[in-house]
Amino acid sequence: MFGEVTLSLLQGFGGTLKLFALTLLLSLPLGLIISFGSMSAIGVIRLPVRFVIWVIRGTPLMLQLLVIYFGPGIILHANIWGSGDTGRFIAALTAFVINYACYFSEIFRGGIQSVPVGQYEAGAVLGMTRRQTFYRVILLQVIKRIVPPISNEVITLVKDTSLARIIAVYEIIWKGQSFIKSAGIIWPLFYTGVFYLAFSGLLTLLFGYVEKRLGFFEIK
Amino acid sequence: MASILEVENIRKNFGRTEVLKDIRFTMEEGEALSIIGSSGSGKTTLLRCLNFLETPDEGIIRVRGEELFNAAQKGSGSEAVIRRKRLHFGLVFQSFNLFPQYTALENVMLAPSLLAKEDSSIQKETLADRARELLDQMGLSDRADNYPHQLSGGQQQRVAIARALALHPDILCFDEPTSALDPELTGEVLKVIRALAEHKTTMIIVTHEMAFARDVSDRAIFMDDGVIVEQGPSRELFDNPKMERTRKFISSFGG
Ligand SMILES: Nc1ncnc2c1ncn2[C@@H]1O[C@H](COP(=O)(O)OP(=O)(O)OP(=O)(O)O)[C@@H](O)[C@H]1O
Ligand SMILES: [Mg+2]
Repeated sequence: MFGEVTLSLLQGFGGTLKLFALTLLLSLPLGLIISFGSMSAIGVIRLPVRFVIWVIRGTPLMLQLLVIYFGPGIILHANIWGSGDTGRFIAALTAFVINYACYFSEIFRGGIQSVPVGQYEAGAVLGMTRRQTFYRVILLQVIKRIVPPISNEVITLVKDTSLARIIAVYEIIWKGQSFIKSAGIIWPLFYTGVFYLAFSGLLTLLFGYVEKRLGFFEIK
Repeated sequence: MASILEVENIRKNFGRTEVLKDIRFTMEEGEALSIIGSSGSGKTTLLRCLNFLETPDEGIIRVRGEELFNAAQKGSGSEAVIRRKRLHFGLVFQSFNLFPQYTALENVMLAPSLLAKEDSSIQKETLADRARELLDQMGLSDRADNYPHQLSGGQQQRVAIARALALHPDILCFDEPTSALDPELTGEVLKVIRALAEHKTTMIIVTHEMAFARDVSDRAIFMDDGVIVEQGPSRELFDNPKMERTRKFISSFGG
């Protein structure tokens, strides 16, 4: 029984990992673009972007999942996500990407804005181009500053993927829970926790390593 | 022969506040010029204008007779053109602004090695030697491989001076190079600036160190409220100021 449950949960964890990886892959670049929008000197760009960030960060991801999945059907009277598993997965992925991109954008903005103007000016008076100053001087300082908060978000994302269950996206919790009905046992559901722990433990080690590698210099 | 620096009628406003008004002075090669004045009198803004960090609203800046800036000619050029022009000047900041992820040596070498990529007359092989030489000259030969956070403020400022010198500026500007330092560390920085003056480095030094300015600089300017109140040979300006405002300012330092 244990072997059978483990296999089944691993399969479910595959779904969890797929959602996790695709969310990261898409929300990190989108977050960077949103952060530029939120720092724009042009109010017509900055203000709407900040408004969206405020709404997304101020409401539960669970609610956003439901709105994104059911909203189009109610408003457009058409199910743009289709009916199958794939449709539900794409709806969930969309909600996750939007939500995480907004969180990441705030981290990027903080990281970029925390680099003192003096660093840009020092590059400029040394005859460096803006590009050179950004890539040779600014970027690594931004990365050093954002790695710890990004690491927090990424580990939160591991656990947040379980919310996708609300629109019946197959992931590990869903698998674990299915044993209650099919076999009348509850321990597989608790067993899912081991997978989360192992994976977030791995990520913690990975980020710890990156932080250590960036520890050779200090920023004020 | 043309003066190394001619500044004509510089005016700079921030919004409604006039920060610089009708600033004019000249410098000769090898001269050290100190600028003194109370807080908010526009000293930093003037240095920033010379280094193209601010754009004056009026005025002309010439180096060795070449017009680098003329407010009357709009659109003074592309980024590349401004970069070339600002290389005539070097700037040492009050807060050092070293690049934290580079060692002392790398801080000194970074800009020259980037320039060497586009300018084949710069020999890449000699850059490291030249950087070490400069660090030596700053008394930092054993600190070349330290990162900024491993250095004291005085050492960081000396690296910053080496970094500025590495580009061979015609005129090196210092903006209160010792005001961010603990008193016991100002001496080592003033010492290297004094040595530069003895080697006839053309320099503009904004400072509140009155005794040092009087001693080291050939000429001095006293600014107040965005105007040059008085300028002249530094002994004269410090010992026998002509203007009442200058006298008051200098005596407020117990001089
Ligand atoms: N970016 C800016 N925007 C608006 N006002 C500015 C700006 N920079 C400087 N000022 C104003 O210009 C005036 C001159 O400032 P500046 O920094 O040049 O003085 P300073 O002589 O260097 O003073 P300190 O001895 O305190 O360094 C001040 O009133 C200051 O508030
Ligand atoms: Mg100042």
